[in-house]
Amino acid sequence: MSSILLQNAIFGLLVGGLYGLGAVGLSLVFGVLKMLNVAHGELIMLGGYVSVWLFTLWRVDPFVSILAGGPALFLVGAVLYQALFRRLIHFHEEHKIKNSILIGFGLALILQTVAILVWEADERAVTPSYAGSVFALGGVVVPLSRFAALLLSFAALGGLHLFLTRTRYGTAIRATAQDEQAAALSGIPTGTIYLVAFALGSALAGVAGALVSVSDAISPAIGLNWTLKALIVVVLGGMGNIFGTFIAGLFLGVAESLSGFLLGNVYREVVGLALFLIVLSLRPQGLFARG
Amino acid sequence: MSGDGPELLEAEDLSKSFGGLRAVDRLSFAVVEGEILGLLGPNGSGKTTVFNLIAGALPADRGRVRFSGRDITREPPSFRTRLGIARTFQLVRPLPNLTALDNVLVARLYGRGRSTALRTARDESLDLLSLFGLSQKATTSAHALTLAERKRLEIARALAARPQLLLLDEPLGGLTTTEVSAALAQFRRIQAEGITLVIVEHNVHAVRSLCDRVIVLNSGRLIAEGRPAEVLSRSEVIEVYLGKASRAALQ
Amino acid sequence: MRGQVVAVSLIALALVLLPALAPRDNVLNWVFLALLYGALAQSWNLLGGFGGQVNLGHAAFFGLGSLVTRTLWLNQVPLPLALVAGTAAATAMGVIIGAPSLRLRGPYFAIGTLAVAEILRITTANALPEVSFLPTTYLAGYRLLPRYYLALGLVSAVTFVAWWLTRSRFGYGLAAVREDADVAEAIGVHAFSHKLLAFVLSSLFAGMAGGLFAYYHVSYYLQFPFNPIWTFDALLITFLGGAGTVWGPLVGAGFFLLLRETLALRLVELHLLIFGIVFVLVVLVFPGGFVAAWRALATRSERSLQ
Repeated sequence: MSSILLQNAIFGLLVGGLYGLGAVGLSLVFGVLKMLNVAHGELIMLGGYVSVWLFTLWRVDPFVSILAGGPALFLVGAVLYQALFRRLIHFHEEHKIKNSILIGFGLALILQTVAILVWEADERAVTPSYAGSVFALGGVVVPLSRFAALLLSFAALGGLHLFLTRTRYGTAIRATAQDEQAAALSGIPTGTIYLVAFALGSALAGVAGALVSVSDAISPAIGLNWTLKALIVVVLGGMGNIFGTFIAGLFLGVAESLSGFLLGNVYREVVGLALFLIVLSLRPQGLFARG
Repeated sequence: MSGDGPELLEAEDLSKSFGGLRAVDRLSFAVVEGEILGLLGPNGSGKTTVFNLIAGALPADRGRVRFSGRDITREPPSFRTRLGIARTFQLVRPLPNLTALDNVLVARLYGRGRSTALRTARDESLDLLSLFGLSQKATTSAHALTLAERKRLEIARALAARPQLLLLDEPLGGLTTTEVSAALAQFRRIQAEGITLVIVEHNVHAVRSLCDRVIVLNSGRLIAEGRPAEVLSRSEVIEVYLGKASRAALQ
Repeated sequence: MRGQVVAVSLIALALVLLPALAPRDNVLNWVFLALLYGALAQSWNLLGGFGGQVNLGHAAFFGLGSLVTRTLWLNQVPLPLALVAGTAAATAMGVIIGAPSLRLRGPYFAIGTLAVAEILRITTANALPEVSFLPTTYLAGYRLLPRYYLALGLVSAVTFVAWWLTRSRFGYGLAAVREDADVAEAIGVHAFSHKLLAFVLSSLFAGMAGGLFAYYHVSYYLQFPFNPIWTFDALLITFLGGAGTVWGPLVGAGFFLLLRETLALRLVELHLLIFGIVFVLVVLVFPGGFVAAWRALATRSERSLQ
C-alpha cells in the first residue's frame, strides 16, 4: 500500500514539475505586465508541435528541440504582444486584467483552430528510442524521460532565476514589475521590458511544451487543459510569485495523483478546483507567499 | 469652535503598515461635530492613509475608529457611507462611462437617508448638479468633463450621499485662483448646512482661512494640534515643512 | 423611446405568431436556436456586460442545468420540476464559485469560472461518457412548438432582467461597481453583494437555458453542453451585439447564427478561426458592438439634422 502511494506521489511529482514550468511563464507575465494571458496553454501546445515537427521531419531528439521551441515561442510571444496585448498596457489595472483575459480567450480559439488546420485534430507523439525506459529507485519505478524532463524544468527555472537576479536586463524587468513609473524615470525602457517579459513568458511555455511532448501526445485540444493547470497553479503559488508557482505545480501534481489513486481517476480533476476554492477563501495571497 | 461640541469621529491608536513602512503609527485624534478640520503634513506623512482608514478603504492593523459613538473599525466602506461618512479621492475618480447625472444618482440611491424612488432621487441629483454649476453637463459622460468639472462632480457626488462627515482629499489641487476661492466659499456653505469637514490640503493660505482647527502628521504620527495660525507658526511644524522644502530644493 | 416600444412590441408579436405564420419546421428551428443562443448570451451579459466581471466558464452553468434537467426528466420526473432542479443546481454552483472569488480583486473570478467549467467537463466526460438518447416513448410525443415557446419565454425573462438593470437602483449600483469598485463602495454600494447577486442571476438563466437544451435535443453526449465553445459563443454574441446593452445579445445572436450557417457550410474549421479573429477585433477596436455603432450613427444623424 505505502509503496503504491509512494509510486503515485513520485508520478505526481514528475507531472507536477511540468505543471510548474507550464505556469511559470504565465506567472512572470502577470507579475510584470498585470495581464493574464489565458491562451498560455495554447502556447505550450505550439511548443509541443515544434518538437513533434522536428522529430517527424529530422528525428530531432525532443530534449534538443527545447533549443528550437523556446526561441520559436519567444518570437510568437513578441508578435502577439506587439499586435494585441501592447494596446492594453496603459489601461487602468482592473481593465487591463479584464481585457487581457478577453483577448487571450479569443486568441486561444484562434491558435487552436490554426493548429487543427495545420496539423489536423488527432494526437501526435514523439517516440524516441528511450521512450519506454524506466529505472528503479528503492522499489519505485521512475520513467527515464519524465525524470529528465523534471530535471530540465528545474534547470529552466534556475536559469530564469539567474537571469532575473544577476543580469541588468533581469533587474530592469523586476524594477518594472515593482513600479513602472519609477523604472521609467530611472531610464529603463519599460516598453521594451514589457515586450521582452511577455516574449520570455511565451518562451517558457515553448520549453514546457517541448518537455510535455517527451512523455505525452500533442493535439490542438490540449491547450485549454494546460491553461487550466497553469491558472490553478498560479493561484496556489500566489499571483506573480515565480518560485511559489513552481512549488505549487509540484504540489498540484502530487495532490492530483494521490487523490486520483485514492478517490478514483474520474474525480482527480476535482481536486484542483477544491484546492483553488479553499486557497481563495483562506489564503488568497497563495500557499507559498511570504506574509 | 475647537473643543466644544460633541465628538463626531474618534480615531484611537490607529496603525497601518505597508510592507515594513509604518504609514500611520498609533495615531489618536477626534473630529468635533460642525468643525472644519485640516489634516496637514508633508508628502508621505500618512494623510491619505488616515482617510482610507476612516472611510474603510483599508483595514487598520490596530486601533479603532468610532463614528457617532459607534465602533466602525470592522465595517466595510459602503456601510460607513450609509452611516454618514463620505469622501472624495485625491486624484478625482468619476465613474467614467456614466453620465454626470448618473454619477450623482448612484450616491443618492445608496447613501445615507437615501431616496429609493428613482424619480425623486433623479430630481434631487439634478438639484445638486445645478448647485455645482453642472446642469448643462448632466447627460455628458463623466470622462468627457474638464478637471475642474470633475472636481466639482466629485464633491457633488459625495454630498449626494448626505454625509454628516465629509472627507476632502486635496480638493484644491490643480485649480486656478478664482476656482479656489469659489471652492472655499462652497466648503463654508457645506459647513453651514451642518456637515463636518476634514480636509487634506497643501495650500497653506486656504487652510489658514478655512479651517477651525488643524492637526499635523509626520511619519504617521501626530506632531501638533490646534488653531491653524498658532500651529503653523510652531517651530517643529515649520521644521517638518522646511525640511521637505530644502529636500525639494536639493533635488 | 416610443418608436422603440413599438418596434419591440411588433417583433415580440411576430415571434409569438411565428409558428402559425411559418409552419415549416426548419424556420421555426432556426428561430428557436437564435432564441436559445440569445438567452445564453443575455445571461452572460447580466454579469459580464452590466457588472463587468468576466465569466470564462459560462458553459459550466449551461452544462450543469442541462445535465440535471436531462437526467431527472429521463427518469420520469415531470419536466417543469426537472427544469427547476437544473436551474437550482446551476445557481448553487454560482454561489459556491462566486462567494470566494468575487470577494477578491484581479483575475480570480475569471480563473475560478474557467476552472469549474473545464473540471466539470472533464469529470462528466469521464463519469458519463455515453450519448443520451430520448427513449421512444418521449420521441413519439416530441413537438417543437412547446420548446419554441419555452425559449421565447426564457429570452423574454432574461431580457426583462437586463432591461430592469438599466432602470433600477440595483442596476445603477452594479454599473458603479463595473466602473470603479472603490468609488462604488465610497458612495454606499456594497460591491461584493452586487457582483454576487448579478452572478446568481446570470448562472440561474444559464442553467435554465441548459435545461431547455436538454429538453430540445434528441441525442447528444452529456459532456457536450459543458464544451467551452458555448462560453465562447456567448461572449462573441454579446460583444458583437454590444456588451452591457439590453438588445445587444439578441441582435448578436441573430447575426451570429446567420454568419455561422453561411460560413460553416463551406469553411468548416475556418469559420471558428474567423469568429476568433472577429471577437479579438471587436474587443480591441470596437468594444461597444453593433448597438454602440447604431447609437453613434443615430446621434450623428440627429446632430446633422439640427
